[in-house]
Amino acid sequence: MAVFASCGEALVLGMASGPACIAACGPVLVPSLLAERAGWRPHVRYLSAFLAARLLGYMLFAVVAWELGTLASMLPAPRLLMMGAVYVLLACVLLWYAVSTRRSCAPSCTDSKLVQIGESRRRGLAGAAALGLLTGLNLCPPFVVAGIRAAQLGSMAAALLFFAAFFLGTSLWFVPFISLGCIARNQAVLTVARMAIALIALYYLSMGIAMLLGKKSYGY
Amino acid sequence: MATEARILPLARPAPRGILRSLLLTLPILIWSPLMLLFSPGSSTKPVWLISSAITALFMTALFFMMMRTHSTYRWRRIFFVSMGILFPIGFIHNLYVMRGSMGIPIEEMIAGRTPFCFMPIPLLILPAAFTRTLVFPGSIAGGIAAMVGIWLALTLVMGKGWCSYACFFGGIEEGVAAIPTRARMRKLDPRWRYLPWAVLLAMVLLSLALFEPAYCMWLCPFKAVSEYVAARNTIGLVQNVIFVLLFAGLVIVLPFLTKKRTQCAWFCPFGAFQSIFNKISIFEVKIDLSRCKPCLLCQNACPNLSLSKESVARGETLMSCMKCGACVDVCPRQAIVWHIKGTQIAWKPERARLMFLYAAWAMAIMFGGTIIAQGLAAILHVFV
Repeated sequence: MAVFASCGEALVLGMASGPACIAACGPVLVPSLLAERAGWRPHVRYLSAFLAARLLGYMLFAVVAWELGTLASMLPAPRLLMMGAVYVLLACVLLWYAVSTRRSCAPSCTDSKLVQIGESRRRGLAGAAALGLLTGLNLCPPFVVAGIRAAQLGSMAAALLFFAAFFLGTSLWFVPFISLGCIARNQAVLTVARMAIALIALYYLSMGIAMLLGKKSYGY
Repeated sequence: MATEARILPLARPAPRGILRSLLLTLPILIWSPLMLLFSPGSSTKPVWLISSAITALFMTALFFMMMRTHSTYRWRRIFFVSMGILFPIGFIHNLYVMRGSMGIPIEEMIAGRTPFCFMPIPLLILPAAFTRTLVFPGSIAGGIAAMVGIWLALTLVMGKGWCSYACFFGGIEEGVAAIPTRARMRKLDPRWRYLPWAVLLAMVLLSLALFEPAYCMWLCPFKAVSEYVAARNTIGLVQNVIFVLLFAGLVIVLPFLTKKRTQCAWFCPFGAFQSIFNKISIFEVKIDLSRCKPCLLCQNACPNLSLSKESVARGETLMSCMKCGACVDVCPRQAIVWHIKGTQIAWKPERARLMFLYAAWAMAIMFGGTIIAQGLAAILHVFV
């Protein structure tokens, strides 16, 4: 009974935190989805890979949070370091995404290969999975709340279950992103997506380096 | 109507008569002093009255010249550059009088004592939609609602004309671009035209994630000549270095080398956002293909890179057209015309130009005129 209550709590917490999750993942997800081919199928595939890897990130974090038990992982200093490392890795993947694209495209090119990682589907999904994993490890405020709650549970299995239910709750908010598949792709959309990915990567890189150096994120 | 279009002369029309030009200028002659002397920011101090009178005369004279010469761009540019130069003078003077510094501390921002700028308007939309909160640190009653309302009303009519007649930032780079006699950088990669959209997308998403107007905090080049974040640690210093570098690169160096408004064409997210409204605005610039002999003088003249070979072949400008009139003025065959949507191309283009210019100049006086008057008042304040 306690397990059900805990799962219900995690589900509701996830659903309630959805907007915050979208806000945190939006800068990574929206431009990278726009860089995909048009149509709902590629978007479902991309989003599935992204969310599956995000779930993996959640689970990894659940294990760490529960193993450390005393919420050591939530202390400000290691949290800053962890976020810094995640941000730098995220920036690297995004830059790779933006830069490792096929440039040899005719002016009339409407093929999504302009901004795909390599050519094969597998590599495209690898990119989505890498981004999903790293955003899953991104310590956004709702995630920290879930981590604290999971660490208070009696067993690792319960903590894992809690995070799985939390993940389900937040994932519902990601379903509308599939609609980005309706936007027709042309050279303009793909170039904009690629440039936006690079800009966002630069932001994460600068923030990540600042965090690793122990600096505050904001200059006030 | 088609016949009428065809009988338009190929040569530039002779100057209008003085009396007719004066008659056409009459509405502006009335509007200028009314707007400048009775606007909310006005006062009865002699310095303000003098600067307002000078500005009203200046704006009226420029409009008169537009009417007399049939030319738009060069007279608009005089106004626009004057606004660009006088905006920082008036604004910084005001900051020093009010606060004693150009740097704004966080306490002031939280207290909502931040003058509202139109730049973050697109950045406010998503946070407001998700949380019903404005992430701009200013009070709604203290100007945001009024500013957004006025902007929206004008934008629906003018489209991206805002960027050529009301934006108080664009004048600096237009002034710098006018200095060299020829462009030193001629080969410009057309893909850079997409960058403002990318900046817009990235900043809108980051503003939602960070819950702050990310562009104002990190990328606005004009912070270098207006109100910057008071640097209290390394990150703050980095922010200000970014502002200065972007200003130097996009507003000074690149316009000088390219003779283009590079910040507007390649970076400004508000400009990209404003482009969307060109689809709604009733005024547009069109190319009469029956008269066009694609010499591409228009493409070279466009300060915003809003014309390409492909768009000229289609008989239209790109979505980013700022309606500055440079292409219309430069075309030797008068193939580029002001146009009102729903009418036939080249049907009474001068009438379309007049209707556009009345709306644009009224807006220019409302925003730019007040800014010019404030700048002049700041200068007069020093000497008088």
